[in-house]
Amino acid sequence: MNTMQSLPLLQNALTVGAILFSLGLIGILTRRNLIVMFLAAEMMLQGISVSLVAWSRYHGDWGGHVLVIFVLTVAACEAAVALVFVLQAFSRTGRLDSAAWQSLREATVGRTVDHELPSIDTVPPRFPTLTPAGILPAADEDEPLQREHV
Amino acid sequence: MTPLPFDPLASGPLLAGAVVATAASLWLLLPNGRDTSSARWLGTLLGLGALAAFILAGRRLGGVGEEAVFLIVSLVAVVSAAATIVSRSPVYAAIWFALTLAGVAGVLLVLGAQFLGVATIVVYAGAILVMFLFVLMLAQPAGLAPYDRVSNEPFLSALAGAVLLGVLSLSIGRLSAAPAPCCGVPSRATATPTAETPPSSDIASESTTAAVANSVAPAIDPLAENHVARLGGELFGRHLVAVEAAGVLLLAALIGAIAVVSRGEAAQAAAASPSAGRSAAR
Amino acid sequence: MQEFSPSTLLVLVPLLPLVGAILTVLLGRQLGAKAHLPAIAGIAGAAAVAVMLLAATARDVGPAHGVHAEPVRPVEMIATLWNWATFDSAYAPPAGSPAADPHLTPQDLAAGKDIRSFSIPVALRLDPLTATMLTIITCVGLLVAIYSTGYMHDDPGYPRFFALVAMFVFSMSMLVAASNFLLVYVFWEAVGACSYLLIGFWFTKPEAARAAKKAFLVNRVGDFGLAIAVFLLWMSYGTLDFHDTISPDGVIMPGIFGQTRLADAAGYVGGILGTAICLLLLLAACGKSAQLPLHVWLPDAMEGPTPASALIHAATMVTAGIYLITRSAPLFAACPGALTVVSIVGATTALVAALIGTVQNDLKRVLAYSTISQLGYMFASLGTGTLLGFTAAIFHLLTHACFKALLFLGAGSVMHSMGGVIDMRRFGGLRRVMPITAATFLVGSAALAGVAPFAGFFSKDEILAALHAKAWPAAHGDHHAAAAADGPFQLARFAAEASHSAGSAVGLDALDRPETWQILFWMSLITAGLTAFYTFRAVFMTFTGPTRVPEGAHGHGHGHDDGHGHDSHAGHAADAGHVGHAGNAHESYESPWTMTLPLVILAVPSALVGWLLFSTNWLSHFLSATPSLTAPAVASTATPHMFHMNLAIQGTLAAAIGIVIAAIGHLGRRSDGPQMERFLGPLQTLFANKFYFDPIYSALVVRPLEGLALVAAMFDRYVVDGIVDAIAGIPVALGGIVRRSQSGLLQRYALAGVMGVLAIVVLLAWQLRG
Repeated sequence: MNTMQSLPLLQNALTVGAILFSLGLIGILTRRNLIVMFLAAEMMLQGISVSLVAWSRYHGDWGGHVLVIFVLTVAACEAAVALVFVLQAFSRTGRLDSAAWQSLREATVGRTVDHELPSIDTVPPRFPTLTPAGILPAADEDEPLQREHV
Repeated sequence: MTPLPFDPLASGPLLAGAVVATAASLWLLLPNGRDTSSARWLGTLLGLGALAAFILAGRRLGGVGEEAVFLIVSLVAVVSAAATIVSRSPVYAAIWFALTLAGVAGVLLVLGAQFLGVATIVVYAGAILVMFLFVLMLAQPAGLAPYDRVSNEPFLSALAGAVLLGVLSLSIGRLSAAPAPCCGVPSRATATPTAETPPSSDIASESTTAAVANSVAPAIDPLAENHVARLGGELFGRHLVAVEAAGVLLLAALIGAIAVVSRGEAAQAAAASPSAGRSAAR
Repeated sequence: MQEFSPSTLLVLVPLLPLVGAILTVLLGRQLGAKAHLPAIAGIAGAAAVAVMLLAATARDVGPAHGVHAEPVRPVEMIATLWNWATFDSAYAPPAGSPAADPHLTPQDLAAGKDIRSFSIPVALRLDPLTATMLTIITCVGLLVAIYSTGYMHDDPGYPRFFALVAMFVFSMSMLVAASNFLLVYVFWEAVGACSYLLIGFWFTKPEAARAAKKAFLVNRVGDFGLAIAVFLLWMSYGTLDFHDTISPDGVIMPGIFGQTRLADAAGYVGGILGTAICLLLLLAACGKSAQLPLHVWLPDAMEGPTPASALIHAATMVTAGIYLITRSAPLFAACPGALTVVSIVGATTALVAALIGTVQNDLKRVLAYSTISQLGYMFASLGTGTLLGFTAAIFHLLTHACFKALLFLGAGSVMHSMGGVIDMRRFGGLRRVMPITAATFLVGSAALAGVAPFAGFFSKDEILAALHAKAWPAAHGDHHAAAAADGPFQLARFAAEASHSAGSAVGLDALDRPETWQILFWMSLITAGLTAFYTFRAVFMTFTGPTRVPEGAHGHGHGHDDGHGHDSHAGHAADAGHVGHAGNAHESYESPWTMTLPLVILAVPSALVGWLLFSTNWLSHFLSATPSLTAPAVASTATPHMFHMNLAIQGTLAAAIGIVIAAIGHLGRRSDGPQMERFLGPLQTLFANKFYFDPIYSALVVRPLEGLALVAAMFDRYVVDGIVDAIAGIPVALGGIVRRSQSGLLQRYALAGVMGVLAIVVLLAWQLRG
């Protein structure tokens, strides 16, 4: 493969990597759920990996591959430690909300609270009950078999 | 496919249109508490339009097969990525992310990174994603939590991301055919084809020569037979210290995670017991 | 001990009190009750040196010969210490002014040879006038300092007082020894500052603080005149030095009172400019010597401690005006109209002050008005413009220093013993319980009243003689005819007439007629009678009659009260009811020896110095060797020394009438208030209100200035401070706006960072395109 031909491949792959990176950036900046934020961070790393491997293939060099391996390693460590912290944060505030932590604000600025959201009708979950053995449990046609919302 | 008469990637209006469409679609799609389906449909349409623009702007590869494969895997990756960040439910987001990983693995395989493609699936989708799902299981409330239904500054963030994407695409489009050799290693564009696979006895010599600084590395070809072996030789040859350091890092992360968890548990227990004692005394 | 050169000795006279003042400031706390030692040592050293210098100068002048001897040659010695400032190429004097060099050709003018440099040398001079003044200042200062060790004994500001007294002696010595008008101005201000600090010594008392402020501000008006006069002098003469100086290229720069200029017939500026200079100098002298209309500060200055009053407001500072005009005699001689104005101001002040003094009940106020009155006498004598007039003024200055200091110190002794009470209506008959004070006070009063053969008699007689000579020139004509036979005097007289005619363009010269001088003479005579009256009224009220002592006075019979508050018992209260008990005649209220010793020492010259100096004619001969007084315009008016019997009789008669009336009114009686009021009627109110000078000044000057100050304060507080606060508020407001972005939501912070990075990236991409 000569470079003349692999340039389009490089450009396409780099574009894909750029798209993944940008989407991940938007996700981090926007979403309030801590887990989804981390998912978006991982997506940024995926975009980086794609770009690195694209360059590595274009140059015929292993450097990009090696770097991606290390990115993978560090991402794993980071995910482990970060999730521990997310759980700690959850245990303090009771929710996975990034807006629950506002103590860095100025003393004169008020706490940012959400506007009232239109409620979603949630059917209270009805969990199946066990009947004693030998008796067929009565099936309720109206009751959904599994949760609709996760 | 015949090449297009103009150069789409460097074409200003197309790129600008793609950027605007991306921004608008993401803005509409991101959770904002209103949840109207018309907004979501419009956003989806705009997103598809942006995607079409990017596809049009893409370069033509060697053959139809190559193009089709690349298109499919990159579409999977991109659409799943977009779905990840706009899903209201974090569990759905995690699952879409798994699909993104699959797409990314496909792209990596197309690019010839066999080991990395598989490693992505195994490590990310298999380990990290599962960890995320475990945490969601522990911490996510039932139903949609209010903080999952709103976003922080959707308009500005979407705009920023889209502009970044536009700038990056512009720069990518300007890449010319004769880049400088990277890191002092002349790019072996005219490297020997894959048929020239040395026997396994040459692996050691090759790795040693690879370990010697600035030796010529053979081309990375998707169908090369000893791709992983050569990668391993490169890794443990030139980058041995870094590998060992990465191992130590993993160990440290492991210990650190355990330590933080245990201290947190001890603190919780300490906080619980006096209050339990006090409530018992009352 | 090696020989000290006269210039070293001259420098020691101001230097020793300065060192004493600095040491007192630095070591005052540690020395405690001995804080007076550095100051007294410094002033005593200065006094000894001043006497030595006086003797040396007298030796240089030589003994007095007869009247027909050659004119006295001027005696001066200049000691230049260093050059304070030099301005090269300072200015070019306009052609035709006395400062211009007449020998310059037009080519020289075009080449810029007329551009002069201006330098201010710190130069001290020693001539008969300076030697006399230095002796008076240091000796009286020494006696006052010794007195103060007793008077200020319990005062918490003890070290501060001595530091101020020593600083004052330094400033006054430098003032009379400086040989440059700018230095005179500097020390003019310095003595004003020392006076302010001493009047306001007990600054916690509001009246004292107010009086100090008033003294300083009224003096400021005079200082303004002096400043303008200095500017005009420089414009006219191109230099401010008194003495001749030699520029680096060997050219002699004639000083204002230097011998080259004095010998030059047309050396002095007459006309409007010259009169303006002289009147401005007169304004300065009026401010410092408390003449009309700037006399209002001196009676209020009695709020300060009595030794300060004795030193500053009787003997030395107030004589600075007399010194200035005597030193500027050649300037005044070129403007006869200004001289007449000086005399008019002096005589009027003397009369007005004497009238006010007749109704005062505060012993120190009586003495203050008497000081103003006697200074008026000196001004009247200076204004005659004759050598006799100048020397008589200095003679009276000398005797006045002695007896007025004595009177003030005696009043201080009375006040100290009476526990701070100085209202004469509250005590009486003190001669039985304070014999030394009474005796010395009587000597001083006799000298002040002009009773022969005490000192004041002779000096007042000389003044009256000077006025008489101007008022009735024909009576003295035979003396002038005899003098005209001498060649040098003839030439000098022609020069004097020439300078007179040059100044006749000013309208003020019309005042210089014998009729004016006759009026002034009669005013002075009446003032002499009034002086005797109020002086002996004070003596009789204080020392004769039944012995009454106010409560709170500490006699030595029952121990010392400590902490007597001078400031709390101001004797203005017209509480006639609080009369006090009749003092036990066996108790002694006499002051300690530190206070009575200076009284006794001062009583000696008050009694004898007049007769001594007059009989030998030493002082006028000595003073006539002062360079300023050797100017032909002045020296040509020299008359032979004689005793004018008719004037002596007139003066003594006036004094006797005054004493008799005082005796009728107050000898042996108690409070005299109703009698004086019945006698004077509506005039009593006029005199008691000091001719309404203070209310007029308050309405014309003080209130408008206070209004202006209020406007300025409002402007400062609301406009200036408002602008500053507004400017200061801008960052706060901006911060308030920016602060709202610190919401604590990290994603917003990240978004801001991303947008910033994007801006850079877009910019870079834009730069690198194409």
